[in-house]
Amino acid sequence: MSHTHKPGNDGAEERHAAAMVEEITDFEVLEIAVRELAIEHGLFTADDHRRFTEWTESVGPAAGSRLVAKAWIDQAFKARVMQDAVKACKEIGIDWSEPTGFGTPSDYMNLRVLEDTPTLHHVIVCTLCSCYPRPLLGMSPEWYRTTNYRRRLVRWPRQVLAEFGLILPPEVEVRIEDSNQKCRFMVLPVRPEGTENWTEKQLAEIVTRDCMIGVALPRRGRTADVHPVHKARRPVQGSAHSGEAAHERKE
Amino acid sequence: MSAKNEVGSGRIGLLEALRQEEKTWNVLAPRYGVTNPNPPWKTSLSAICDCLAASGALPALDRRRAEDELAESVYRDVPAPERQLLALVHVLLSRSLLDESDLAARMRAVRSRLESA
Amino acid sequence: MARSKPPKNALKTPATARFRVGDRVRVKNLPNLFYTRTQMYVRGVVGTVAACTYQDVIPEDEAFNRDGRIEQYYIVRFRQKDLWPEYQFDNDTVQTESPERWLEPVDN
Repeated sequence: MSHTHKPGNDGAEERHAAAMVEEITDFEVLEIAVRELAIEHGLFTADDHRRFTEWTESVGPAAGSRLVAKAWIDQAFKARVMQDAVKACKEIGIDWSEPTGFGTPSDYMNLRVLEDTPTLHHVIVCTLCSCYPRPLLGMSPEWYRTTNYRRRLVRWPRQVLAEFGLILPPEVEVRIEDSNQKCRFMVLPVRPEGTENWTEKQLAEIVTRDCMIGVALPRRGRTADVHPVHKARRPVQGSAHSGEAAHERKE
Repeated sequence: MSAKNEVGSGRIGLLEALRQEEKTWNVLAPRYGVTNPNPPWKTSLSAICDCLAASGALPALDRRRAEDELAESVYRDVPAPERQLLALVHVLLSRSLLDESDLAARMRAVRSRLESA
Repeated sequence: MARSKPPKNALKTPATARFRVGDRVRVKNLPNLFYTRTQMYVRGVVGTVAACTYQDVIPEDEAFNRDGRIEQYYIVRFRQKDLWPEYQFDNDTVQTESPERWLEPVDN
């Protein structure tokens, strides 16, 4: 099943429109049963569970898009982001200390924003588990969590990027950031040409989740990530490609 | 706790009974014309995982290693996020954090409660 | 401090950072007794310190709730050509994060 993620939509519309199927699945029952038993056995409290559920529902990639758009327009803000990203996030309404006062047990409070240049392209991964900057990007996409992505991206980065439709010239440094400890990372892509007079809102619209992971480049007219990821093909070596991402494949 | 998570490839009867192809969200949602890409319990599941890590009952790295093992073996053909749910429950059961018969009984009680609501 | 929750009896003295940005370091191949976040693919490989990040308890201690040894953490950058045989692109790199005890200095 493929679906699109658009910046500016933290899933609120999706949640409230047609959210329910008209039957009670065993999966739904299982989740409730596990939760109740876990709370009764003291594995965690109902209070903590409610707080984390609310937090999970509150995060989405729109925040990251806002941060990138603002950094593109406001050089002083960008400097603050590079100096202390957690502190700069507060300026766009994101507090990495939520919901516990010291962050979550997976996101912590050590964001580092990775600034791309025309000769340096970052991609984020967590080979060990699938750590992800949830306060800025929301829940990680399923493909990001698979061993297929995590194991292959560090070993065959250009092949994996090609499967996403992103081909970069050989002289560009592809830098993979493996978030194996407590730092969390997000990519600040290069602002595309032809967007010089755009508003922050217009810019945010082309900064999709995939651009902030590093598997896509922002581009005029590209306002959604299209999935699922295609299976690996025989890599093409030495082909001549421009620095722009290949056009998105249709499923 | 060894470096390789010893979750094993043994199957758990209760969870095997749940693996009906037609009831996963990727099949059900289109059938009912539901546009939400995720089932409503997915955020609650995520919160369970965070809570288990925060309390120390099941650290994230342990859970994810077990999930990776199970996703490549026992639950290989189950779509996400059902696969993640089954893998989590499998780990909790195999570590005796929950009991299979307790869970089965609670599932019956929950279903009965939901169906009479 | 990079913590998920405040430790009970954390050592109050900040650790002294042994390495600086630009230093060449090698990732040690310590035995994986239990919980570790140091990946196999960087063991024994030489890289360059790209950043000093924070000071924190090492994962091996934290996993067992041992109130313990606080160390400087670093981001280390490796050339892909040093990680994988026959890697074809000269400029590509990988960065990972490491506590100090997993690193040893390399003399150029």
